[in-house]
Order: sequence, then structure tokens, then C-alpha cells
Amino acid sequence: MDTFTALMSGFAVALSVQNLLLGALGVTLGTAIGVLPGVGPALTIALLLPATANFEPTGALILFAGIYYGAMYGGSTTSILLNTPGESATIITAMEGNLMAKRGRAGPALATAAIGSFVAGTLATIMLTIAAPAMVEVALKFGPAEYFAVMVLAFVTVSAVLGNSPARGLASLFFGLTLGLIGLDSQSGQPRLTLGIPELLDGIDIVIVAVGLFAVGETLYVATYLNRIADKIESVKGSVWMSKSDWARSWKPWLRGTAIGFPFGAMPAGGSEIPTFLSYAAEKKLTKHPEEFGKGAIEGVAGPEAANNAAAAGMLVPLLTLGLPTGATAAIMLSAFQQYGLQPGPLLFASEPQLVWGLIASLYVGNVLLLILNLPMVGLWVKLLSIPRPLLYAGILVFATLGAYGLRNSWFDLALLYGIGLVGFAMRRYDIPVAPTIVGLILGPLAETQMRRALAISQGDATVFLTQPISASVLAITAAVLIVPRLLKRRRLPEPTLLPTDAPWK
Amino acid sequence: MNPSSSGRPSLGGEALLSLGMVLLGAFVVWQGSLVKAAASYSGIGPGLFPGLIGSGLSLIGLVLGWEALNGGWRAMPDDETTHQDADWRAFGLISLAVLLHMLLVGWAGFIIASALLYALIARGFGSTRPGRDLVIALLISVPVFFIFTRGLGLNLPAGWLTWGA
Repeated sequence: MDTFTALMSGFAVALSVQNLLLGALGVTLGTAIGVLPGVGPALTIALLLPATANFEPTGALILFAGIYYGAMYGGSTTSILLNTPGESATIITAMEGNLMAKRGRAGPALATAAIGSFVAGTLATIMLTIAAPAMVEVALKFGPAEYFAVMVLAFVTVSAVLGNSPARGLASLFFGLTLGLIGLDSQSGQPRLTLGIPELLDGIDIVIVAVGLFAVGETLYVATYLNRIADKIESVKGSVWMSKSDWARSWKPWLRGTAIGFPFGAMPAGGSEIPTFLSYAAEKKLTKHPEEFGKGAIEGVAGPEAANNAAAAGMLVPLLTLGLPTGATAAIMLSAFQQYGLQPGPLLFASEPQLVWGLIASLYVGNVLLLILNLPMVGLWVKLLSIPRPLLYAGILVFATLGAYGLRNSWFDLALLYGIGLVGFAMRRYDIPVAPTIVGLILGPLAETQMRRALAISQGDATVFLTQPISASVLAITAAVLIVPRLLKRRRLPEPTLLPTDAPWK
Repeated sequence: MNPSSSGRPSLGGEALLSLGMVLLGAFVVWQGSLVKAAASYSGIGPGLFPGLIGSGLSLIGLVLGWEALNGGWRAMPDDETTHQDADWRAFGLISLAVLLHMLLVGWAGFIIASALLYALIARGFGSTRPGRDLVIALLISVPVFFIFTRGLGLNLPAGWLTWGA
């Protein structure tokens, strides 16, 4: 079955009434939580995991993918109108876009972000459609050693490349890996790190960890340190439509942003933060209006926004073809697959083509829905920003405790939730990124399985990872990935520490 | 980087967290060494990975501890948000809300526990209208209870409020 036929059969799945409704629900919910400060796609999908356990997998994953895409669109609205960025990948949008809004140009800023997200999202989904089957061909040649090597690559990119400090990123990663050890060993059935507590034999559920870090920790932090800082919301005056010159200045940055963003998401080499920086730097260099940069230049919104969305789509390539998550949301999506007994990877394309291609087709549909939701209806979403903080965070915690308690109706899970919330509070205060913990928890047990398989095949010879050509080159890439972006970042952005760092709620 | 810039998280905290990582790592290594598997093949048993991860965590803890004692952790953010004084009363109220919910939910039921949680958190964030907060809390928790139990098949305790079901 060639790609085009497969995609068309995917559209048949995605356009069924039920899946269309779930997709629409997903993108609407995604936009809403993207707009709301304090809630992100990772937290939302984690909260929905227990409630969707009885769903049919394709529909549930279409819902989750809609939330993932929708949050990207909604996040840009908040970045432009609010003086605090919603997520790390929209820092640049928050800078230029918020400045545009302050100059009374909120409308065009929102429009170029939404249309740019649509253009980039759609083009990147086309690239995903083409790249995924090609990647599957490569992945089919992978053995345990190769899988372990790409997992190490993912660990390093998530923890050491993003954020301010590789040491703090790695600390977060190893904390997640430690949490992943708790419970019965999948191969020998031996209990590990359970301290004799029967509730820990099944391990710590991802829902508890994600909700504890993203909801409880974040709420504690905002209440303790940020509640005295008032949010300043810019109003949307006049038309949200762009003028002719806005269009002329936007379309090239959209395309360049897409071209920069997708490979970064797909490789996986640095998530969506670095491509937005690179896109911003490129637009600043190429613009005919350099004097506007730093005062609200539309190119500085159009390019990075496109790069952000293209990278988000790109991240689905390693997730679907290798089962490799390169961010917190992708990690939670992976555990959603696992909830249904599915393991993303090359075999999934053969065993569940309807699901995979239905999911990819739903992304095309979702992008169209999102453009409609975010452009003419932007005024509706802006209203969400005026929900008072006490009511918003109280609501977040009602759903957070519901998600944790709903797992197995145990007060122990709520105690664990609070404990992990305290850790999340400390991590936020001391600028330790949260995403590596989530990725470590989900990917750690899989990495261990692959490592032990590889070592069993090689009869305990640890050099197997360096003597197999694919595994060795992936590990070499890992080393490069660790060094090259640091050099790039240092050269292009001399003051990285002035930027607000990783916003852990996304 | 100036370690004494005002409002910055204290170096004591950084050192303490680093120490915590070293100790947790050592604990993981120790626990890993206790796992005895019969089918340990060329040393590749269930104890191997805990050993590696625990050592890694301790090592990073040592690096961060060294940083904390030599000018503080590197590249810490220095903006408006890091210069705020802590509001420990809010921290306490929210902790109380979560822990009270934990004690109450199985006994008083989801709706009552959640409504109380909602009102307390709103109070922690500085809301001065408990009546309004409780009404909103019920407007959220009652529909959520029915959507999740009847619609999505989740099992939540009704507690003191029984619905003649």
C-alpha cells in the first residue's frame, strides 16, 4: 500500500462522524487549555487518560492529537496578549507579539500567528506523511542496541539541550528514571524500590507524576511566588485581519519557519525552542524593516510561530515510527498508546494502519478546524484570559485530584500526588526543567528492556553499542547534539539567561 | 554571575537539593544491590539498571553541589519572578486543601471534598468571597461527578450525598 492510498484510507477513518467529533472536541479543548495559563497539553492528556481507558484507541488518540495541536494555536494567543509567555517555545512570540499588541497591533499579530500556524502545521503534516514511511524503513533495521542508542539520544536532547543548564536537565531526567524503576521488574518480576509498600508494586502511574508536577507543583509555586504579580492583558482593538503589507511581510517567514522547525522536531534534536530562536535570528537578518525588531515586527511573530508548529508536527515522526518521545506531551501520548496495549514503532504501521493513518489524516482536518476556531473566534478565547486566578487554579486542582483519585480510588495516590507536587514546587523554584522527568519515567523502562536485550545477545559485552554501525553513529550524533546547539545558541543569542526559562506547565 | 543578587533562591537550598540527589542516588544503588534475581545472565539482571541510574543521579548531585558551593548553580534565571518574597500562608492553605481533600474524599464523597478543596484554594489565591467560591465549586463538582461516573464509567465515591441510585 503506497503512502497516498494509505493516507486516503486514513481520511476515511478520520472523517467518520465519531472521529470528526472527537477531533473537533480535541482541538477546541486544546485551544482553550493553550490559552489558559497554568494548563498545558501534557497535563490535559494525562488527566484524560483514566477517563478514556474504555475508549476505542483510534478515537482517543485523535482526541489527544487534537489537544496537542490545539494547544500550540491557543498558546500563541496568550503569548501575544499576556505579558508572560505560555510556554518555552513561544518566548519569541511573547516578545515580538506582545510588543505588537502594546502598539495596538494585536489583531495582525494574532492573525499572522494563526495563519502561520495553519500554513506550518499543514506543510509539516505533509512532510510527516512523507517522512514517516521512510523512517519506518530505517526503523525496521533496528535491533535492541540501536533502539537503546536512539533512546539515549532522546534522553540527552530532552534534558541537556533544552533549558539553561545541562546539569539540572540531567538531574530531572535521572529523577524520572528513578521513578520509572519503582515497581516490579518487567523481565524478572522482582520488586524494586517498593520499600515493601504494596501500592508501589505496580509502579507510580504517569498520571500521578504528570499531574503532581504540572498541576500541584505549579499551583503551589504560582500561589507562593507569583500571585502578587498582576497579569496585564492587552486588548484586541480593531480588525484581526492583516493588511496587504502584513501578508507580504508574513508569507516568507512562515515558509522559512516551517523549513527550520520540522527537521528540528523530527530529528529529534532540540524540541521546538531552538528552531524558534533560529527562525527569529534568520528573520531579523533578512528583514527590510530591521528598525522594528524589538519593537514589534510582524516577521518576528510569523517565523517563530511557524517554526514552533512545524517542530510540534515533526516530533510526531520519532514518536510514531520509533516510539520515541522528545517532549513531555509526546511522552504522555506514548503512555496513551501503551494504555491500549499498543507500542508505537515500525510494526504499528503494519499492524494498525487504520489507526496510524487515521491519526495522521486527523491532523490535516484538525489544522483546518483550528484556523476557523482561532481566527474569527479569537475574541471568545480572549475572554478565557479574564478568569480570575483564584477560580482558575482552584478548578485546575479539582480536576488534578479527580484524575489521581480516579485511577484506583486510593488515598495513597493523593498523598503521592502531593509529595510529587512538593518536588515540582522545588524544581520550579530552582529552575529544574520538568519535561525530562516525564520522559525519563516513560522511556526509562523501555530503554532498560532494550539495553538488557542487547547485552543478553552480546553475552554481556557492553561494547556492542559502539561496534554496531547504526548504534555507534546514533551515539556520535548524541555527542554532536550535545555540543552543536550550545555553540549556535551562544553565537546567535548572546543573552540566553535573560529569557524566562522552561515553563514547566506545558 | 553574582551569587548574592537579592531574591535569588538561596544557595543553602541549592546545596540541600544537591545533597538530596546524592543521597537518593546512593539509596537507589543500595536498593539495586539488594535485588537478587535467579536468572542473572552475565551480570545483566534487574539490579544493573538501578545501579547505573543511582550512580548517575549521585554524580549529578555532586556536580550541582560543587556548583552550589562555588558561586551557585549556573545560569539561574534572574527576572521579576525570581525576586518575589514567598507567601507561605498561601502555600500552607493550598497544602491544607489538598491534604484535607485526601482525608475527606473517600468518606464525605467526591462532591463535598472537591467543593471544599475549591473554596480553600481560591482562598489561598486571595479570594475574599467564600460564598461565591462555594457556589462555583458546586457548579463544577456536581456536573463533573455525573459526567465522570455515569458518562465515562469512572468510579467516584458519593459519600454523604447519596443519589438514590
